[in-house]
Amino acid sequence: MSRAPHAPLFVREMGLPARFGLYVLVCLLLLAMDARYFALSGVRAGINAIIHPAQMALAKPWEWLDGVGRFFVSHGELAAENQRLKSLHELLEAGLSDRAAITAENTQLRALMELPAREGYTMVPSEIIETSTDPFSRKIIINRGERHGIAAGWPVVDANGLVGQVTRVYPWSSEVSLLTDRGQGAPVQNMRNGLRIIIFGQGSDNQLEVRFLDMHADLQPGDLLYTSGIDGIYPAGVPVARVVKIEPPRHTPFARALCQPLGGVGRYRHIAVMKPDRAETAVARQLAPGAKKKTP
Amino acid sequence: MNIPPLLPQGAELTHPPTRAKVYISLLLAFSLTLLPWMEQIRWLVPDFTLMLLLYWNIRAPRLAGIGMAFSLGLLTDVARGVLFGLNALAYCVATFIVLLVQRRLEGFDTPRQTLQLFPILLGKEALVLTLGLMMGRGDADWRWLAAGLAAALLWPPLAWLVDRITQQQPASRQTPL
Repeated sequence: MSRAPHAPLFVREMGLPARFGLYVLVCLLLLAMDARYFALSGVRAGINAIIHPAQMALAKPWEWLDGVGRFFVSHGELAAENQRLKSLHELLEAGLSDRAAITAENTQLRALMELPAREGYTMVPSEIIETSTDPFSRKIIINRGERHGIAAGWPVVDANGLVGQVTRVYPWSSEVSLLTDRGQGAPVQNMRNGLRIIIFGQGSDNQLEVRFLDMHADLQPGDLLYTSGIDGIYPAGVPVARVVKIEPPRHTPFARALCQPLGGVGRYRHIAVMKPDRAETAVARQLAPGAKKKTP
Repeated sequence: MNIPPLLPQGAELTHPPTRAKVYISLLLAFSLTLLPWMEQIRWLVPDFTLMLLLYWNIRAPRLAGIGMAFSLGLLTDVARGVLFGLNALAYCVATFIVLLVQRRLEGFDTPRQTLQLFPILLGKEALVLTLGLMMGRGDADWRWLAAGLAAALLWPPLAWLVDRITQQQPASRQTPL
């Protein structure tokens, strides 16, 4: 049916304010449903499946341009980079053998203490295809999704440490909430003395926060925090953050510690999703429908 | 009282805005926002979808409207991965205000139109930020308001371009029959 582009003779529809009010009501309803009950993830996944191919197609020309640009780098630049990479490679190799030795020793010690070995994880390498256009959230979209066997709740790491957690899975992509996102938290342990605390994102790019810290807690600037693994989501022993500053209690009976994330939260293009070898844990399944992780 | 003409007049008669023109231009504008923009200038990128939506609401209010604003808003919500209905609400509010003053905007030349649209475009960004604050999503990054300013600055070239491509004549330049 094609409507005339000019004003019709007889108006047979709701007035403008009434229509506006109706749509605003629907919008508020949708907002409340999405924010409180996470009821619309199916609809969202459906619409995303339509938009995603377009997004990928639009990103392609830029990748080609990037490739063409890379073709014209000078010989000197390449030689310098080659040199740098070679030294980096040596460094990494040294670190790797070091690590292998430590791992072997660690397995031995665990066997001695008769502790159950940490359950295995497989790394699923993935690439960041999009960053969120939302000033409030620290989220990224990666190019691995339901079709690649990704499920919500799995931890995401890079070479340096913990990056975040998969919070929403689409057919061909998934959304990762970075550790710095306001709703994210992770249980960690101080490497120096084994103190167990919970670290939270703040919504700022380069800062994490320990809230409600006991004012006599033994935590000092420079301390390294590792995941404690007691939540059943993050495996134990992944580097998370370095303590930068302890703020003494002012208006509350609790102190507060500011930390800097160790993993390249929001810096690199390639990250890895840690896929548990065993089927997903009960905790992960329980957390899957809700986007946010509830810390114990 | 301003009474709309019962019959199309002037350029509207020779090159009427059609549904195809509206949908294709909106689709193009939406894909512009989907482009992989650099992270450093992300907050500066204007909302092209909203600009085109407002353009058609001024030039051909019978073909656009609040319903279209609502559905485009939902699409944008999914593309941006934000709460469902956030951008939809902002688009509806902006469209409603533009439709209220549509007769006035239609008659203005581009610089005056820009001045009138600036608070609306800025208000949309502010509304999205405020709604985010209200839903408890953390501190607002007020840099994003710059997108509203960028949109207002880009309005004259955009309006001129779409006018040329779709051969619309702004009402102020129409010669009376």
